[in-house]
Parts: sequence; structure tokens; C-alpha cells
Amino acid sequence: MLIKLAWRNIWRNKKRSFITITAILIAVFLAIIMRSLQLGMYDNMIQNVVGSYSGHVQVHSKGYWEEQTIDNAFEFNDSLIQKIENNINVSNTTKRIQSGCLSSNSDLSKFVFVTGIEPQKEQLMTDWNKRLIDGELLKPNSQAINIGKGIAKYYDLHIGDTLIFIGQGYHGMQAVGAFQVSGILDMKNPALNNISVFMSLSSAQEFLSAEGLMTHLVINKKEYSDEKEIVASLQKELNKNYEIMSWQEMMPEIEQVIQADSAGGLIMIFILYMIITFGIFGTVLMMTQERKYEFGVVVSIGMKKVKLMISMVYETIFLTSIGIFLGILLSRPIVLHYYNNPLEFPAEEAEMMESQGFEAVIPFMSSYDIPITHGLIIFFISLIICIYPIITIYKLNPIKAMKR
Amino acid sequence: MNVIETTKLFKTYSQGDIQVNALNDVSINFEQGEFTAIVGPSGSGKTTFLNAIGGLDTPDSGKVIINNTDITQLKSNQLIDFRLRNIGFVFQAYNLIPVLTAKENVEFIMLMQGETAKSRKSRTEELLNAVGLKEQINRKPGQLSGGQQQRVAVARALASKPQFVLADEPTANLDSTSTSNLLDIMFRLNQEEKMTFIFSTHDQRVIDRAKRIITLEDGKVISDVIQ
Ligand SMILES: Nc1ncnc2c1ncn2[C@@H]1O[C@H](COP(=O)(O)OP(=O)(O)O)[C@@H](O)[C@H]1O
Repeated sequence: MLIKLAWRNIWRNKKRSFITITAILIAVFLAIIMRSLQLGMYDNMIQNVVGSYSGHVQVHSKGYWEEQTIDNAFEFNDSLIQKIENNINVSNTTKRIQSGCLSSNSDLSKFVFVTGIEPQKEQLMTDWNKRLIDGELLKPNSQAINIGKGIAKYYDLHIGDTLIFIGQGYHGMQAVGAFQVSGILDMKNPALNNISVFMSLSSAQEFLSAEGLMTHLVINKKEYSDEKEIVASLQKELNKNYEIMSWQEMMPEIEQVIQADSAGGLIMIFILYMIITFGIFGTVLMMTQERKYEFGVVVSIGMKKVKLMISMVYETIFLTSIGIFLGILLSRPIVLHYYNNPLEFPAEEAEMMESQGFEAVIPFMSSYDIPITHGLIIFFISLIICIYPIITIYKLNPIKAMKR
Repeated sequence: MNVIETTKLFKTYSQGDIQVNALNDVSINFEQGEFTAIVGPSGSGKTTFLNAIGGLDTPDSGKVIINNTDITQLKSNQLIDFRLRNIGFVFQAYNLIPVLTAKENVEFIMLMQGETAKSRKSRTEELLNAVGLKEQINRKPGQLSGGQQQRVAVARALASKPQFVLADEPTANLDSTSTSNLLDIMFRLNQEEKMTFIFSTHDQRVIDRAKRIITLEDGKVISDVIQ
């Protein structure tokens, strides 16, 4: 009965309820679209830098991040990898061994990072075909190398040319080798292009005298899951000989950029919510005030004030829930559309972004977290607003309320 | 048997510097089955008295004993419950919840008393029949005339099976046909169901129908006659 009463009361002033619902709808809609765009953009940015290269989480031997030398490599075993891949938030993992060394060709020389990779597993993180600008990609046991286009330009190297590396292997062993260039890559990042040399894991281990060792175990999370959860659970599961780091710890500057930008969006949403709060409050205020006489009557004939309060809370909740529901419903197809068909930047900006290593598209974030969060925020705002009718009813003196 | 006993009721309002004695030593008892009009000029204390015996307001001093309970001693939540179970109310106007139909308005009070759906339904129909609104049970107050609305209010007042019904100027906003209709109904319910009715009024036609007439002036009882 209270529910029926509340429901019918909403439609008493159709125009006002309609306006209120529409306002809530627009607020929820805008908040969801804005956040889906923003978070989608960040997610894509992270995906470009983090997802395709560093991984969301890395496992190293303890102390590696401080002192990144091949001597801090660790032995891998299948049970370790199994344990990590069993984590529900983990999508895939890949092993790498990395070491800095000197490259040279005729009179020139240049410091580079040689990274041994598992080509097929790397492919799960990002499509290397999009990076390849000449030649072919590495195969699992290939003896050749792929190099960044910056290096190729520096030495004027072409497919089939040879590059010599001199460095230090594991435990002070000499690492020397000559490798043929089989592919030239555009890493979509100038720094990486100038420094990256990739070989298959096995050739890198041989070159560095580091059989069965790796320096990085790169972990990719599932879409929209939390890397910090992965770190926390792995820290519990793995022993103390490993260090487990999220990309935020490894590259704090990216997170800072995102946080600064995100704050701007949140302020706008905050303002939007302030407006909506006053809108809902205004409606509830009018609903309460114009019904004081009626409250007086029902309390006089014996309706408990608590029941009357509950009815007003229902009414407010219904009103806002309709708006929230419709807002989510209307935003969903748009979010899904731009999730599947990302927004593209205009050509000029696109070029600039791509030169800085970013993809010039914004896919929306389709996670349900966004509508749920914003729906709940407005829901709680409406609950807080209910304090007003509750206090009014609590203080209500039926005789005064019925005096006109 | 007395349904209501009041002894030495006093109530003073201050209007600026002036003290107004709205109730000045009022002691009146009401018996089961009365049909009583409280009359007197405007400002004589009629509403204040009805509010006191209806548990809507507490006098400054004195006792109001209903059903062996001194209701002046009840806390406000207990009072609400007491009103629900013992007193039926009919106000001047706008008695009904506008979003509920006539039937639902009557049922509402029984629902609060925790009656079963079956007994609610049969009693509602019976009461709305008795006030002559069989055809209108599914109409909302906005679709009923003022007189019809007051008849629904009477039906609602009786729905809770109260000890007595209080009506503060129930005909104040009605034309003469509606007034006599409403009075007929109240009178018949008084006769048939032995329901006690106490109402305040200005209206001579209402006064003429009352069995007992209590006249107030300046908060005092100046006459109490049985016709
Ligand atoms: N809330 C109040 N504040 C001040 N004075 C009041 C209040 N209620 C009633 N009075 C005064 O008490 C007196 C009796 O009022 P009331 O019982 O309403 O009389 P009636 O119903 O006979 O017209 C009047 O003089 C009125 O002005």
C-alpha cells in the first residue's frame, strides 16, 4: 500500500515529475558518456604504452628494478607461471630477458637494449604486424633480430644486414655476437625506436650465457580488471625472492598525467551533480510542502509517522530510479557503439598523437562499473535528500498542518 | 456507560500579550450512542475541545479518559496508535488522500490496523454502500462532489470500528442537499450501529437534528440540553 501510494503520488504532478526525471536522466546520461569517454581514453593510452609493451604487472627477481642488470635475472619454472596464470584477473604472461649492450656496424656504435622475447606470446599482448614496417617478425627460435626503426636509420641498415653486439653476459661472461636483421619495427614511440633490439628468447639466453633465465615476467590483466589486485594476490602467493610491480609503480608519470586529467572531468561531474541535487531537492521540497495538510489528516486518523516517512522515501527513490534507469538505458547503446567503433581524431591531431606514441582513437569504456557508480551516486544523493521530508514529518503537528 | 469523561479541562493560548482561555474548566461526559452537537460562536473553544478529546492536542490541565485510559498522559506515538484504534475523524474538508480511490481511502485505515484483505474488502463495500456510494467506489476524490467526499470520510471514520466519531464542522463546505444527505447517513449509522457521533457546528439544520446540544462560550459550557 505504501508503495502504491508512493507510486501514485509521483504522477500527481505529472509535469514536475517528468521534468525531474528528465533532469536526472540527462545528468546520468552525461556523466556516463563523459566518464566512458575519459576512462576509455585512459584505458587506451595505458593499453598503448602498458598493455603493448611493459605489461600491467611485472615480476622480477628481488632488487632488479633498482639495479637492472643481467645478474639479477631469475630462473623460471612452470609452476611459477602456472600459479600466475591461474589468477582470475590475469589474461596472459610472457617471459623476457633484457640487457643493455653496445651495438656496432662499420665505424658507428650505439647503446641498445637487447630483449629476448617469446614472439607468439608477445603477439597476445599486441599485434606486432602493426609494428612491422619491413621484413618479417621473429619466429620462436629464429637466430635473426628485429630492430627499432631509429636504429635502422642510424646505421642505415636494411633487411639482411648484420649488426654486432658486445656486452656483458650472466655472471661476468663475455657476450659477443653478430645477428642478421630480419625485420624493422615502428614501436610508435621514438625512445623505443632508438633503443630496441629483439631476438628470440633462446638466442638471447645463449648470447647472454643465461640458459633458462629471464629478467622480466610480463603479466597482462583481463580487460577492466584491477592490476593492483593482481599485485596484492601475487605478493601473497609468491615467495619473497620476487618483486611484483604494477605499471603505476614502474611508470608513475603516466598515472600522474591521467589523474590530473581525470580530476578535471570529475569536477565537471561534481558540478553536474550539485545542480541535480538542487533539482531533486526542489521537487522533494515542493512535494513535501504542498502535502502538509494531507500529512496532517493521515497522522490525525492514525497513520504512524514512520510509515508516512517510508512512503516519502519510496516516492523519492522511485522518482530518481526512473531517471537513473532511463539514463543508463539511453547511454548504453552509445557507449557500446563507440566501444566497438572508437572515436577517431581528426587527421592533423591524429598524426601528432601517433608520433608521440599514442593511437589516435578513443574507444569508450564499456565497463558496467561506470553506470553502476553514477547510478549509485544519484541514488545516494536522493536518499540524503529524503532527510528533508523525514524531518518535516517528524516535526509535523497535525493540528498546525491542517490549519489553513 | 461513558465513552468519554473529561474533567476540569483548561487550555490557554497567548496571542501577543493577551491570554485567551480556549478551554476554561470544561467537564463533560459522553455516553455510548450519543448524537451530540457542540455549538457556540466562532472562537468559543469548540475545535480546541474536539482536539482535546480526539487526542490531537493536550490540554494544559485536566483529564480526558477514554476506554479507561487518560489520553493526556500518552506519548505522541502512543496517541497516534490510540487514535487509530479508538477514534474516527471527519474534518471540514479535504479529508481524503487524493491519489487513492474511495475504496482505497476506506481500506487504508483498516490496513494500518492490520485487518486481513478479506475483512477489509467486505467492510469497505458494506460501509460505502451504507453511505450510498456503491457506484462510486473506484473513483478518486477529485471525481467526487464535496458531499460525496464527506460521505467517504464518514465511511472511513467508521472503518476502524472506533469508540466514537469526531466531526469538526463536517458540513461547513456543503450545500443544503448534501448537508441533509450526510446528516441522514450519520443519523442512521447512529441508530443502526449505535455509533457515537460528536460534532461541532454552526449550522442550524445540523443543530436541529442533534439529540444533545452543548453550547460553549469563551471556553466555558453555558448550556447542555437533550432534545
Ligand atoms: N494555536 C492557537 N494559538 C493561539 N490561539 C489559539 C490557537 N488555537 C485557538 N486559539 C484561540 O482559542 C480560542 C478558541 O478557538 P477554537 O477552539 O478554534 O474555537 P472555535 O472552534 O469555537 O471557533 C480562540 O480565541 C482562538 O483564537
